Amino acid sequence: MPFWTKRRGGALALGLAAVLAASAASAQTITVVREVDSDRYDPHRSTARGASEVLFMMADTLVALDFDMQTIQPLLAHSWDVSDDGLVYTFHLRDDVQFCDGRPMTADDVAFSLNRWIDPETRSPVRWRAGNVAEIRALDDVTVEYRLNAPFSELLYQLTQSFASIIDRYNVEELGDDFGVRGFNGTGPFCWVNWTPRDEFVLQRHEAYSWGPPIYENQGPAHVERIVWRIVPEENTRMAAVATGQSQVTQYVPYNSLAMLRATPTVDVHQSDAAFWTYFIGFKIDRDMVDDEIVRRAMVMAVDQQTIVENLYFGEVEPAFSYISTAALDWDPDLYADLIRTNREEANRLLDEAGWVRGSDGIRSKDGVRLAPVAYGFTGSTWQNLMEAVQADLRQIGVDLQVQLFDATVAWGRLATQEFDLFGMSFPYISAGDALNLYFRSENMPTPNRMNWNDPLTDELLDKGKSAVDDETRFSAYAQVLRQVHEAAVWIPLFHEPMTIAQSTRLAPVRPHNIYGAGLYKGLDLRFLD
Amino acid sequence: MLQHVTYRLLLSIPVLFGVLLLGFMLLQLVPGDPARVLAGPMAPPDVVEAIRQDMGLDQPVIVQFFLYLGRVLQGDLGRSMISNIPVIEELARTIGPTVELMFACLVWSVPLGLLLGTIAAVYQGRFLDQAVMAFSVAGVSMPIFFIALLLMMYFGFYWQLLPFVGRGGPLWTIEGLRHIALPALSLGLIFIGPVARMTRTAVLDTLRADHVRTARAKGLKERVVVLRHALRNALIPVLTLIGLQAGYLLGGAVVTETIFSWPGVGRLAVGAILASDFPLAQGTILVLALGFILINLIVDLLYAALDPRVKTG
Repeated sequence: MPFWTKRRGGALALGLAAVLAASAASAQTITVVREVDSDRYDPHRSTARGASEVLFMMADTLVALDFDMQTIQPLLAHSWDVSDDGLVYTFHLRDDVQFCDGRPMTADDVAFSLNRWIDPETRSPVRWRAGNVAEIRALDDVTVEYRLNAPFSELLYQLTQSFASIIDRYNVEELGDDFGVRGFNGTGPFCWVNWTPRDEFVLQRHEAYSWGPPIYENQGPAHVERIVWRIVPEENTRMAAVATGQSQVTQYVPYNSLAMLRATPTVDVHQSDAAFWTYFIGFKIDRDMVDDEIVRRAMVMAVDQQTIVENLYFGEVEPAFSYISTAALDWDPDLYADLIRTNREEANRLLDEAGWVRGSDGIRSKDGVRLAPVAYGFTGSTWQNLMEAVQADLRQIGVDLQVQLFDATVAWGRLATQEFDLFGMSFPYISAGDALNLYFRSENMPTPNRMNWNDPLTDELLDKGKSAVDDETRFSAYAQVLRQVHEAAVWIPLFHEPMTIAQSTRLAPVRPHNIYGAGLYKGLDLRFLD
Repeated sequence: MLQHVTYRLLLSIPVLFGVLLLGFMLLQLVPGDPARVLAGPMAPPDVVEAIRQDMGLDQPVIVQFFLYLGRVLQGDLGRSMISNIPVIEELARTIGPTVELMFACLVWSVPLGLLLGTIAAVYQGRFLDQAVMAFSVAGVSMPIFFIALLLMMYFGFYWQLLPFVGRGGPLWTIEGLRHIALPALSLGLIFIGPVARMTRTAVLDTLRADHVRTARAKGLKERVVVLRHALRNALIPVLTLIGLQAGYLLGGAVVTETIFSWPGVGRLAVGAILASDFPLAQGTILVLALGFILINLIVDLLYAALDPRVKTG
């Protein structure tokens, strides 16, 4: 008997049809695709954006940040008082909060969590974000006192970050080193179900949740039952997954496919105006050549941000002339007119005047020194493209930029050395103070102050801004630092990256948040339209 | 027969030692500092140094190797430096999906390759032969990522017939089958080419052999002659090729797993190496090497089944 009979063929075809037609996952699950996973999900030890994205959903902070990135909103603390000298913060907690395992959360948990964050034993890379703490203790079940040695005007903003998440002490003690690897007991709108590293993270709705921040229409419980964070390293696959509905929402879509996604009827693309993720190239200002402010200024002028944005990012990002977004807290609008703009003729004129003479190959030199500074950056298409574009721009004014790129695992180490003249970097921030205190304090050399910006006045102003107890003092202190560093041309700002979210039209419109680059934040308003 | 297997097993011990040593040395050469990775971009140097000591990275290389060897012999592959999950556990979780993918790829591509190769041999020089050979040259020469992206574009994106992100479940469920279809198809397409070409050559050789002429002279039907007398004898070189190609297939699986987000060993290896997660990377290299040895052992056993001379020898 021949193998292929009509009946067998029919059965096979039917089976094939069934396989092809089977529906996707259940309707109450949202799949989010993203590029990389975090190493672990311990809020005090994980600094990656990938960790924060999930931690914001699994855990809560004392206070929440509004969509405008400036207003502090209640979360676990329904109110708080600050002493007149700015040294003592008293948080009044909600009394109805419970962890995923049902245990009520008390002030003891808050004190434990915050103390673990600043404990040197924890080795938190971000413990400076907690300020100069004298003591954090629970006064009673619903009151926490946060006592500082020096005022820290940004404390409330820092307490909205995932590093300040409130965790369960028993859970931490039980899991030990496996905390945030095999389990996590938080008070967030979603609970830990299962994590398979580099594959997926499954979260389940926290049914008892009702204490969401007022920035959401829904204070809890969440609308969707499950959220699956799935790692899809290939960018074309991510784009196609959103376009075909295999993923309902993502912020990790390549710029070159945004136009295509906008044209896809089943996909909506949203962007947030409060864009606080900035790409720049910094100068190490005590190295030969780039220690000359004229040279730096000319190089900044030579870079054509507008063209870079159009050619590399299809106009989807905002060209940057300032070091922080002009929408960020404490940005000084008066500085705008004085920012260095693209102007190659002026750049050439500056270098000519300074005695840098073009050689036969078009590259300038002075006193036998070729104007060929070395730039370090990260491998991967982003920095490769950016560095090449900047290299081409600088060539126009006779600068021969030597680009060296390193894998992320090596790059951080190389960027901590003194062997380069320029470096490429991008960073998230919530305010001028956040960015300036991170990059321009003299005590932060060699990293993250890779410029070696060492200026007593800056330090003094930063201290003043950091410990200011009123908005006016803080603003004017930071405004002075902003002017100082912009005038010294220590960075080549490249672009401000907006938060872009692509979502399926089956979901209610998602409003992108920008906290630490985690576009979905708490995810309380995520829901299907039907 | 038993002797044969024992001999092969003994031979694999030095091979494994070599693999362990090479895996260890390679990762020493790779630039990267796991302590730095673990500490994150904004960590001060003293924190990085403290973490480095915790991880034993301040010990001399040779000490690190023997410490590692001792642990492996006790069946302890260590813990992932980055996530602190035991390496064994990470491997156990990813081996299943990779084996599944291998199976789903071989189960259709090997028979089809044999069939196409045999057809080409039987119709040597005619149109069918040329069509099959053109197809297999294309299969051999097209890179796997290109095939994968093409399949994804048509089956996943334009026609939306099949999903292409991740694994849907075990192989025996409909969701599982749907999810494995495109990765298995991509991986299989690069495998058909070599198998078909080798089969064609081998079958052509045996078709000219004396015993085939005898079989024909006996008056056997052509189908029986081709299948029983020519193909069976032709299978031995084909089998060798399949065994060797399995290594190539594992390489292809790394790419396929990355493109389709398949949670297998290949993707784990890439992730571990990129993250400078030494214990995990060494574990995945060890598993991939073991897989290669195992496949070749199976091939040896199959030789015996196909060729009675091996059994007695």
